[in-house]
Amino acid sequence: MIRFLDLANHGFFYYYLVCNLTYLVLLIVALKTSVAHQHRLESLRLSWLKETPLVPPITILVPAHNEEKSIRIAVHNLLSLDYPELEVIAINDGSQDRTLQELQEEFHLRPVNVVYVPHIQCARVRGLYRSDTQPRLLVVDKEPGGNKADAVNAGLNAATSPYVCVVDADSVLERDALLRIMVPILMDPKRVVSVGGIVRVLNGSEIQSGSILRVRLPKKGLEVIQVIEYLRAFLIGREGWGDGNMLMIISGAFGLFRTDLVRAVGGYRARAIGEDFDLVARLHRYLLEHKADYRIQFMPDPVCWTEVPSDLRSLGRQRARWQKGLLDVLWPNRNMLFRPRYGRIGSIALPYLWVFELFAPVIEMGGISAIILAACFGALSRHFFFQFLLFGYAFATVISIGAVLQEEITYKRYNDWQDMVRLVSYCFLEHFPYRQLHMIWRLQGLWQYIRGDMVWRAMRRKGLQSARTE
Amino acid sequence: MASVFESFQRLGPAAFVLEAILAAVILDGLLLGFILLRRGYRRRFFARRDARVFDIRQQWAAIISGTLPFDTWRNKPFDCHIVQAIALDAFEAAEPTESAQLRKFLRSSGLVDRLIFDAQQLHGWRQRRALVALGRTRAPEGIATLAEGLRDRPLETRLAALRGLSRTASPEAAQEILRWVGEVGLAVPPLPLQDALVQCCAENPQVLLPHLRRAQGAVREVLGRVLGEVATPALGRELLEFAKDELSELRAATARGLGHAPPALALEVLGVLAQDPVWFVRLRALVGLAKLSDSGAVPLLLRGLSDTNRLVRLRAAEGLVKPETEMVPVFAQVAACEDQYGLHAYFTALENAGLRAKLEAELATSPRVSELERKRLFDLLRSGKRPAEPLSKTTPLGTGPHP
Repeated sequence: MIRFLDLANHGFFYYYLVCNLTYLVLLIVALKTSVAHQHRLESLRLSWLKETPLVPPITILVPAHNEEKSIRIAVHNLLSLDYPELEVIAINDGSQDRTLQELQEEFHLRPVNVVYVPHIQCARVRGLYRSDTQPRLLVVDKEPGGNKADAVNAGLNAATSPYVCVVDADSVLERDALLRIMVPILMDPKRVVSVGGIVRVLNGSEIQSGSILRVRLPKKGLEVIQVIEYLRAFLIGREGWGDGNMLMIISGAFGLFRTDLVRAVGGYRARAIGEDFDLVARLHRYLLEHKADYRIQFMPDPVCWTEVPSDLRSLGRQRARWQKGLLDVLWPNRNMLFRPRYGRIGSIALPYLWVFELFAPVIEMGGISAIILAACFGALSRHFFFQFLLFGYAFATVISIGAVLQEEITYKRYNDWQDMVRLVSYCFLEHFPYRQLHMIWRLQGLWQYIRGDMVWRAMRRKGLQSARTE
Repeated sequence: MASVFESFQRLGPAAFVLEAILAAVILDGLLLGFILLRRGYRRRFFARRDARVFDIRQQWAAIISGTLPFDTWRNKPFDCHIVQAIALDAFEAAEPTESAQLRKFLRSSGLVDRLIFDAQQLHGWRQRRALVALGRTRAPEGIATLAEGLRDRPLETRLAALRGLSRTASPEAAQEILRWVGEVGLAVPPLPLQDALVQCCAENPQVLLPHLRRAQGAVREVLGRVLGEVATPALGRELLEFAKDELSELRAATARGLGHAPPALALEVLGVLAQDPVWFVRLRALVGLAKLSDSGAVPLLLRGLSDTNRLVRLRAAEGLVKPETEMVPVFAQVAACEDQYGLHAYFTALENAGLRAKLEAELATSPRVSELERKRLFDLLRSGKRPAEPLSKTTPLGTGPHP
């Protein structure tokens, strides 16, 4: 038993080491890619992109379910984006609040009888509306589909552009976000089929009429920790994986896709828990099975600001759902593992997700249990324990500070000294007890999935007004 | 007393972990130190730069007139970059008179020569930055250097040279690009190439034609699309030779270009292209027909309403819905087509253009329809569906000249 515990403890140490080393490699790749991207942008002026008649049209899809607090600001924000060929489709997914009325009042909607071809299955569409004041706006009113995927599918059926951009109704895009996200497509339209932008934390920033006036760190520690998590996930994880064409997720809050391909794979899977992750996985599968030469890219500078949960309960539900979503995608795609036809997706990206994302909370829990058991049996080397703890702490902090560094040398949105000091401080503070809580939420997610509990638990939101307004 | 390292050695197997801890802690410190140092440096740098920009702007008139000797800023790289950036930004937004003055300044101050030198001598992103800046000066003497950049090995450099050439927006630059494409084929992604050619050929689209006749494959497609973008009425007859080309892209480009040609010349050819087997050629032809604003186009657009492709039907309907025209006769003809899909497309275009109310108002007062016909058309407009009995039994209204 003691021998087993000793081995287990060493096993956990090496697991942790490999996981963090992978992140370190990703950090180095991401830093290199970001700097190269910055230099590339020096010879490419976004204003020139606006002038060219060749930019392809984009349809923005905004699914909205009970978004009465945010919907006006969100749609105004989207309509004011810098892009020459733009259509905005807001989908009211059977909201029980005043979402549709808010839209009707704000944009003077009138019912219209326009072509709607239900290529992709979704709940019944009750009506289509056009605005008297905003000709580029179309509103789709549909019966509740029970999930975001169903609403996006309805929007996909109404979309008329070669590219669709899916945006959350509680998010704010930066004015030039579409021009920036189109850069890889304009450079290589045949190969680039999808691009993801970065999602940043809106809480705490000042906004006016749907535009960010001043970026500030949130006041609550829980929200600041999420800022670090988002920086780490996007500026290190996605940037690094995207560089190797192994990006497995494009955030549902802001992603651009080729319309024909999304339709070809049958749109979003209505029953998927993590519909964004699921779509990208199916796109990879479809394109690899068709032996296509393609790229799914991540761009770190088109920014989408989104509200994150500000209380533990909502955050816990969100993280449990993300973990459920991960298993919900990985399990049906398990036959892609280690098959040569699925290339690096099957041999690197998916195994990584299984081992270091899906099983991470289980292994972490196992590690903690083994340490406790070893202590009970008197087999715990105090030296080893403290060293492991210190090493884990220091190494994880390197990764977090690395993410802040990446932000600092490239995009530098947090200009205030105070914000920077707080951000760095939280890099040291996030490990106890937030990390352990996170592990529990993720375990809850796995348990809920195994039990077949797929209930969508609502999160408490304050709407876009939660950001400080002037 | 044993040193710290000896103490570490004594720990035995745990030494590796300790080394890892030490490395991680040192890395934490280095990262933090770097962030803080960089912040401090940048803060000072930007404060200095802002102050310098302010000073230079104060003396801007003296700088560009040459009253302030060029050597006072040209020999200081920091000042030189600021002057160059201000001059190029001003040049892009300048009126013709100011533009001439700035161009003279860019030349006489030696900035153009410096950029040519940088574009030839530097490497990597510095070279790319110089290439784009050189293009922004729109100096003809920079075109040769930019053309050299097109033949560089890294793709990013070729793209920068292409962007530089596109900023010159001159036919000479177009010639250089076309010559290069003729030599090496499609060595850059199509969109930046198309964009550069659209910018450079806008003034004189004729430069494209000889190259288009010689080009093959993907290059021919790209040049065809450019032709469609830059075609002018003056190009009308030359376009006709491509109307029967094997390449559907080129036929589509011809259709697009003919939208700018005189109706007498374009109508018949566009009519043929509107029945092309390839859907996007038909779509382009219908868009072209709509642009002609000629009564002769209406029957062809009406035929487009019954196309098998939804997008083609929608474009045909958009061509039929025009605020400046009398809408009732066209609506009556759409109704007479007896095609539910076409009717739906027409209503979509009507709704999208926000002209439904206008049509209703015109229909209520139009002297060109009988009462019975008026009622039927109103019913059709309100229900959005064809009635059981065919509407074609009524007298067609579109016999007179269409506005």
